[in-house]
Amino acid sequence: MSKKRETELSSLERSEFIVRKERLYGQLLAACAVLTIAVTVGIILSLSGQALTFFGHVSPIDFLTGQNWSPLSNTPSYGVIPLISGTLIVTVGSAVIALPVGLGAAIYLSEYASSRVRGIVKPLLEILAGIPTVIYGYFALVYLTPLLDAPLPIRQTIIPGEFVLVVPSISTFNALSASIAVGVMIIPMVSSISEDALSAVPDSLREAGYGLGSTKFDVSTSIVVPAATSGIVSSYVLALSRAIGETMIVVVAAGESPKMPTFPNILENFTESIETMTVAMVNIASAESLGETVAYESMFAIGLTLFAITLTMNYIAELISRQYREEY
Amino acid sequence: MATESETLQRSGRFQYAEIKGKVFEAILIAATLVGLVALILLFGFMFFDAFGPLSASLEWYLLFFSTLVAPVSAFTLYCRRNPAARTANARASAAVFGGLVLSLAAYIVLRAMSPYGPLVYLITVSSMPLSVAVYGRYAENSYFVGPAMVLAMLLAIVWTFGSEVLLFPLLDAVFGLGNALLGGVPVLGSVPVPVGRGLLVTAIAVGVPTLALANSVLRRRTSRAGILAVFAVLGLSAAGTAGLDRLIRPILEVLPIWSAYAGVVGLPVTGILAFLLSRQRGMRAGMTAAVAVVGGGLAVVAIASAVSMDPSLWVVLFFGMGVPTAYVVGEAVISDRDGRVGVAGPFIILGGILVGAYLERLLSVTGPDSWVTPTLLTNSWNGLTATEAGAYPSIVGSIMIVSFMALMAFPVGVGAAIYLEEYAPDTGWKGRLANLVELNIANLAGVPSVVYGLLGLALFQNLLNFAPGLVFSAAATLGFLILPIVIVSAQEALKAVPDSLRQASYGMGASRWQTIRSVVLPEAVPGILTGTILALGRAIGETAPLIIIAVPTTTFTTPGGLFSSGAAVPLRIFSASANFAPEYRKGVVAALAIVLLVLMLTMNAIAIVIRNRYQR
Repeated sequence: MSKKRETELSSLERSEFIVRKERLYGQLLAACAVLTIAVTVGIILSLSGQALTFFGHVSPIDFLTGQNWSPLSNTPSYGVIPLISGTLIVTVGSAVIALPVGLGAAIYLSEYASSRVRGIVKPLLEILAGIPTVIYGYFALVYLTPLLDAPLPIRQTIIPGEFVLVVPSISTFNALSASIAVGVMIIPMVSSISEDALSAVPDSLREAGYGLGSTKFDVSTSIVVPAATSGIVSSYVLALSRAIGETMIVVVAAGESPKMPTFPNILENFTESIETMTVAMVNIASAESLGETVAYESMFAIGLTLFAITLTMNYIAELISRQYREEY
Repeated sequence: MATESETLQRSGRFQYAEIKGKVFEAILIAATLVGLVALILLFGFMFFDAFGPLSASLEWYLLFFSTLVAPVSAFTLYCRRNPAARTANARASAAVFGGLVLSLAAYIVLRAMSPYGPLVYLITVSSMPLSVAVYGRYAENSYFVGPAMVLAMLLAIVWTFGSEVLLFPLLDAVFGLGNALLGGVPVLGSVPVPVGRGLLVTAIAVGVPTLALANSVLRRRTSRAGILAVFAVLGLSAAGTAGLDRLIRPILEVLPIWSAYAGVVGLPVTGILAFLLSRQRGMRAGMTAAVAVVGGGLAVVAIASAVSMDPSLWVVLFFGMGVPTAYVVGEAVISDRDGRVGVAGPFIILGGILVGAYLERLLSVTGPDSWVTPTLLTNSWNGLTATEAGAYPSIVGSIMIVSFMALMAFPVGVGAAIYLEEYAPDTGWKGRLANLVELNIANLAGVPSVVYGLLGLALFQNLLNFAPGLVFSAAATLGFLILPIVIVSAQEALKAVPDSLRQASYGMGASRWQTIRSVVLPEAVPGILTGTILALGRAIGETAPLIIIAVPTTTFTTPGGLFSSGAAVPLRIFSASANFAPEYRKGVVAALAIVLLVLMLTMNAIAIVIRNRYQR
């Protein structure tokens, strides 16, 4: 009797070969997962390796505080500030468009729109995120800039003798149309992540609000949006980090003249050609047959700076959404 | 009295609140419209410039409506009322248009690479796993077939694709190390390392699988099939390594070129069809279908040769589009009584286009002055005459880059997702590792694409000393770029598979891998495909990393293979957008942008169709 049970038990065990096979598959799949870490390590190694040799030629302090960027000239200088300010100009410009518009669209889609409208509008908005960025750049350069330039220059006397509003005409390559295009591109990022956060707010909160006699406006602005703040903020951070790393729009539409920002007249920064960090990298890469020169290495130094900035921002976004995630 | 004044007061406040709410809603709608208007402007401007709809005559529009728009909308209306027909229509459309696009893509890529090379690869890469599979069917204990196939596939890929790239540098390093070590020993140092590296590769490639198989055959009792399999593997791996290009290729090149096309496209299609039919209707039906397909292919060749045309394209179209269409239509006609009419959908569209084009030429109607012309798709670039400018090399390059990228990123991405969802524990160092991987993936998804370009530059050009801008480096760089997207979407798809299915499968005694392979993956495949296709749509428009790894922006020849210089449509748009001549700026480039957008939108549409069809 007991012997029979023993054989039954042993027949239930899998043969050693199968066990080993199962383990082999598990290890193969784990290797795939570990490969993603290898990618990150590869990025960090490849960026820092060349960047370190670059910092052997140019001191990091000169790099981070220099106000002149001209790596390909005869007397090269490697100051990253003009590039960072160019990136900031485009990021701020795109944020002005995308953050309010994206949030508005998110609130509309999650609180006001019928499910049918949402089913149509949401995929349409998401197309915006999928359009190749080089096409955005082309659109900004060829269609948007002439459109914006048509009514310019404006010289309108608002108060006679006191204040004259002057908007100069914009140059062929300018930060304005590039930032508008970048802004449009990141709208769906803001709207879809924020909308997910808004619709994750449980209905009971809304119903409690209505039960207290609130209007839809009150419920949306004082209950749902505050409850979803973490999601909204992290969508903002992610979208901004996307705007910082955006390359092709800026390369095609914003030109390649690194310059320090002009200060009291902030709007003037937008009407002129600028250069961002990403554009500087593309410029160096497309200047042919450089070999292992300092300029070539400076590309990796900018890449490292860019990587550090976006990584920090993504990490902040992750922290925000983890830290303030409300469990309903 | 008091209540009356209170209601009045409240109604006043309500009025104010109502206005506030209305204004707020209007602002929200306006915000939503900003995005939509931008979309319309973007497409509208480019569409207008690319197609020039104003230059067409009224007759052309009449013709267009009567041959294409009217029948198609009538049919769509009919299908809306009849769900069975709609399903059949969707399947037939997928078969016809998907087959058309895929076979055209296969044809132009094969033409660029010369089809003999891919045929050699196909034979060598697939023969090993296939022979293992065939052996497994006849072996009594066939549970080792799965790992053996994986191993065989990896080996085959390594020594066909990778012998030049992966093994030789490695072997050189080993030989160098050996020389350095042996050089110190006086007697041994004078003995030259005896074998050439090519011979060593062959010896390893032939020896290892043969020994492994011989060992497994000897462990069980010797059988005739086992011994045969040993010899088959021996012969195949010898042919696959030593003879890859030198031995097989001259033999193949004696054959006419259409047979190479037929081999590359027709063999897999016939094999899949035979497999499907033999599963559904038995072995005999499968065999009959395979014979019929091969016969049909030969008939196409005969007809094409008879009217003295090059049969290559027609053979590819027959296998790539004709066979799947016949399969889907035949299945619908035989077994789907309600939806039978639905299969006419794609043919109404195709027929409308053909009849319209024929009538247009016959009646000499003025069509629109469009820039999207056959020239654009089949010529190489011309920087001086806009009407002669085309993007053929770039289109071929884009297709090659994206397809090789998918081949590389898809298995790895899905594998990682399976590990994270199905294997990784929550606790212990493995759990921490899995957490780290997840965090890392989220961060990788946010890394700007230029930085991936730098990774590709450092990895392939500085470390491995590749020439700049190869198709392979471009495909691998973009593969790294889309890897996080593929992983995340595959994870979502796997998460959506209900746990009850897994538990039922475990309850039946299935192992973890069996559960994944036959329960979880089939459920998750639509979701995985959706995510992957969206990622491909993103990759096809990616430009910045390609510039960084120095893919040439101006090419006049199609890339000849994995290790030749690449080209891509977005790069062509980038370099051409700097041309200020209006017929380029608002003509050819707009048309190219439309081509790229249509490619991307088609991919998105396919993804959405798959998602909607399988979403439950």
